[in-house]
Amino acid sequence: MSNWSALQNRSFLESNARDRALGLVDEGSFTEFVGPFDRRTSPHLETLGEAVEFDDGVVTGIGKIGKTPVFVISQEGRFIGGSVGEVGGAKMVGTIKAAIAFAKRIAKDFPNAEEDEKPIIAISFETGGVRLHEANAGLLAHAEVMDQVQRARGHVPVVSLIGSKVGCFGGMGFVAAATDVVVMSEFGRLGLTGPEVIEQEMGKEEFDSADRGLVYRTTGGRHKYIMGDCNFLVDPEIAAFRAQLAELAKLPRAKFAEFRRIGTSELVEKQLKGVALAAKMQPKDARDVWVHVGNSDPVELGSMPLADFRKVVKRLAL
Amino acid sequence: MALNTIEFECKSAAPAVAIGKPLHFGVVGSGDLEVLMEPKALKGAVAIKVVTPVSGFDALWQRVLATFVENSKLGDVSIEINDNNATPAVVMLRLRQALSEAAA
Repeated sequence: MSNWSALQNRSFLESNARDRALGLVDEGSFTEFVGPFDRRTSPHLETLGEAVEFDDGVVTGIGKIGKTPVFVISQEGRFIGGSVGEVGGAKMVGTIKAAIAFAKRIAKDFPNAEEDEKPIIAISFETGGVRLHEANAGLLAHAEVMDQVQRARGHVPVVSLIGSKVGCFGGMGFVAAATDVVVMSEFGRLGLTGPEVIEQEMGKEEFDSADRGLVYRTTGGRHKYIMGDCNFLVDPEIAAFRAQLAELAKLPRAKFAEFRRIGTSELVEKQLKGVALAAKMQPKDARDVWVHVGNSDPVELGSMPLADFRKVVKRLAL
Repeated sequence: MALNTIEFECKSAAPAVAIGKPLHFGVVGSGDLEVLMEPKALKGAVAIKVVTPVSGFDALWQRVLATFVENSKLGDVSIEINDNNATPAVVMLRLRQALSEAAA
């Protein structure tokens, strides 16, 4: 088990799922659900003769930040690309279900609880989506997670934390977009179809996945923050993600509806305005959109220190 | 196709090191592994179970683990490994790291 204090200044990008889970909550407060000692490995991988992991690539549990109970889900990108299969998906579903039940119980038994005494859910995404080895079971896992995220609405806020190597793509990109709040570092990447898949399907002229600058200014934290797909852009250490969670935990729970990108007819209208804008502008590069929303020097905007970026950046308002 | 499971016991000539509590270390990345170690009364021996997609290297696993047990003087421990094509050097490194985490 890693030293908690040392974890705080560790890069979120380079930390494994368990270290992220441990470091996000207060020292010594993390209790794991269905941890490695429970040995819940994937039966599908075993049948296929593929390597298995005792936690199936998803760390789940509960901890505290101050007085706030934090239900944590953390995905491990190094295990089959963080892909979500039946066991890992079920662990995510079980954790969100437990959080909803807990939130309802708090609301019923302690109607005068302070905001920061009510639970939140934090999901540290590091995944390309469905574990293709598990086919329908993996797809079903996604549908069930999505279902629970919807059920959590109005009971317990779901916060996405995206700043790990694999990024958050595929079906889990949809799940992250459907949560209440998205927190990213500039190294976090969020999207539906990942860069390699776009190149494979549409050709190198359409999208060169070897062009790191292109990949980051299309899927990375800075771009997602400008576009409004990301609510908060934080520094790359675990402590920064943790601090943002602590800030969010203090907010009135009704406030979380304002952070959402989808989920009401008004928000759908807003999204459609974005589609209309894209059709009108026909942008060739993310920088075209940055300029359109009032950023005069997009090259400098992409490379300046993050603290300066947060001060000067103009964001898309639909 | 099925995963290969290798089970055996090793014993140091002079077992002197035990672990106080169960530990987990590592991630089953490509070319990597995870390990569980749990205290178990085995009269000084170490019980080992390796689950790996690779077959045909059972004797090599036994040599690497026997070397680790002899060098570390570990005894009365059950070790379980989920492997994904780790080389012997990586296996040895991860086992040592796991043990040093236990001591920390």
